[in-house]
Amino acid sequence: MRGSVLPIENNLEETILNFIKEAFDKKCIEAVILPKRIPSGDSFAYLLIKDKSILEGASPFPPVIPVQGAKAISSLTRQGSVKKKILAIMHPCEIRATIELFKLKQTTLNNLIFMSYDCPGVLPLSDYLENPDENDQTFLAAQQKWDSKDMRPVCKICTEFSAPASDLHIGQLGTDEGKIFLIPNSSVGKEFLNAFGLNSDVPLDEWEAEVEKLKKERENNKKDAQEKLKTKVEGPENLLETLSSCITCHNCMRVCPVCYCRQCYFDSDAFKFPPDNFISKSEKKGSIRLPSDTLIFHLGRMSHMIHSCVSCGTCEDACPMDIPIAQIFNLVADKTQQVLDYKPGRNIEEPLPTVTYQEEELQEFEKPYSETYIKVEETNV
Amino acid sequence: MNKNFTPKIIYFMCNWCGTGGAESASAHHLYYPENVLPYRVNCTGSLSTVLILRAFIDGADGVIISGCHPGDCHYEDGNFRERKRVATIKSIIESLGLEEDRIWFRYVAHGEGKRFVDTTTEFNDYIKKIGPNPLKERSDT
Repeated sequence: MRGSVLPIENNLEETILNFIKEAFDKKCIEAVILPKRIPSGDSFAYLLIKDKSILEGASPFPPVIPVQGAKAISSLTRQGSVKKKILAIMHPCEIRATIELFKLKQTTLNNLIFMSYDCPGVLPLSDYLENPDENDQTFLAAQQKWDSKDMRPVCKICTEFSAPASDLHIGQLGTDEGKIFLIPNSSVGKEFLNAFGLNSDVPLDEWEAEVEKLKKERENNKKDAQEKLKTKVEGPENLLETLSSCITCHNCMRVCPVCYCRQCYFDSDAFKFPPDNFISKSEKKGSIRLPSDTLIFHLGRMSHMIHSCVSCGTCEDACPMDIPIAQIFNLVADKTQQVLDYKPGRNIEEPLPTVTYQEEELQEFEKPYSETYIKVEETNV
Repeated sequence: MNKNFTPKIIYFMCNWCGTGGAESASAHHLYYPENVLPYRVNCTGSLSTVLILRAFIDGADGVIISGCHPGDCHYEDGNFRERKRVATIKSIIESLGLEEDRIWFRYVAHGEGKRFVDTTTEFNDYIKKIGPNPLKERSDT
């Protein structure tokens, strides 16, 4: 891979903001989407910025993800594509979710230029809100040292922290002090760098080696973390114990970037039943919990969107009961995406697994039939 | 094997092949276990994952799904759609340590009465062997 080298002035955030300002001046872009701290100071929100002066104090590298970027993009382009060139700076997981939404026909990506960066992870939202000032310092230190100990559990085991799906990627790994790499991943990204007169032909072996190294490390962490999680959620007893604190608020579904349905099946009338149904069920089981259907909601939601789950962890941030829901989804998504041979956000050309079917695939899920099956005992005829 | 245990088995079959298999069985006077409850859907491709999960979580000991053989689907690829859904569900259930083998997917064609009866008997015996589904007793699902 080849890219350009950009010197850092003062600090990273300022360098990137200056870079964006220059892009405005060079007429490469006409607006930019990036997070900025909200006036009360304890959270961040995505802004569509047209006025250059508002860029002052924006945070291209926020320490939390309060709203998933894919939701911001789809809210912008729900009624059609944008006519002006807009740059969006987001975490790699948010860009992957945007690509999934594009495949699900929930957004259009014309004229949008995506910029991603080597993501060190983000802090858990509830932890951050307790003490924003102190946590800003924690995040800054963690960002510089690539130390993921305070980050969210799903960020610690994320292996897709360096997305090749964006148009332009900011490489911070393996660079010399005071430099970053700008890596073009598409023709749009190349044009962008050409407009800046940057030489985009510098070899990036150090960056590649460093990314590979961190990926290996994270993969090992992932294995350990998943083994540990399995002891907590595997089997009906453990799983129901973990999910039993669920208050059926459905926050996890509402904040999920891939759960795009206007009317969720689990909120619809198809999922409401007459009282007799509940009474007969409680007669069979002795008792039932009200509101019921916690397990079927989580498993059903998985069956609807697990192939597109990017493990962004927004669901866990939104859970008021601290259920490790993103970790459970990560565990299931890993297995399911492997079976379906699909990685969300890997390639914009790759079709969703739910729209393509081949005759010869997944045959291991068919139960083989042998004519010579012998009855174990007489059935109760 | 518990002799007193009669499993509750839901058999999802498609209108064209699975149901036809059951009809052939009746024409040949073949018998299948009474505790297998046939549930006809127009095409297995129309069978939602949530319905399978509903059966799996709320009362059934086992679920079988039968569609047409590859290439025979009345709607071209309905059986392949369902195979993908079954693959998804089974992967989800397996990775959470629930018993994925309580869900079977096997093609039964119109006219394959013996295959239909063999499938029900084999599955019934298998479920009897592994015992009742722990989820159906739970009140907090």
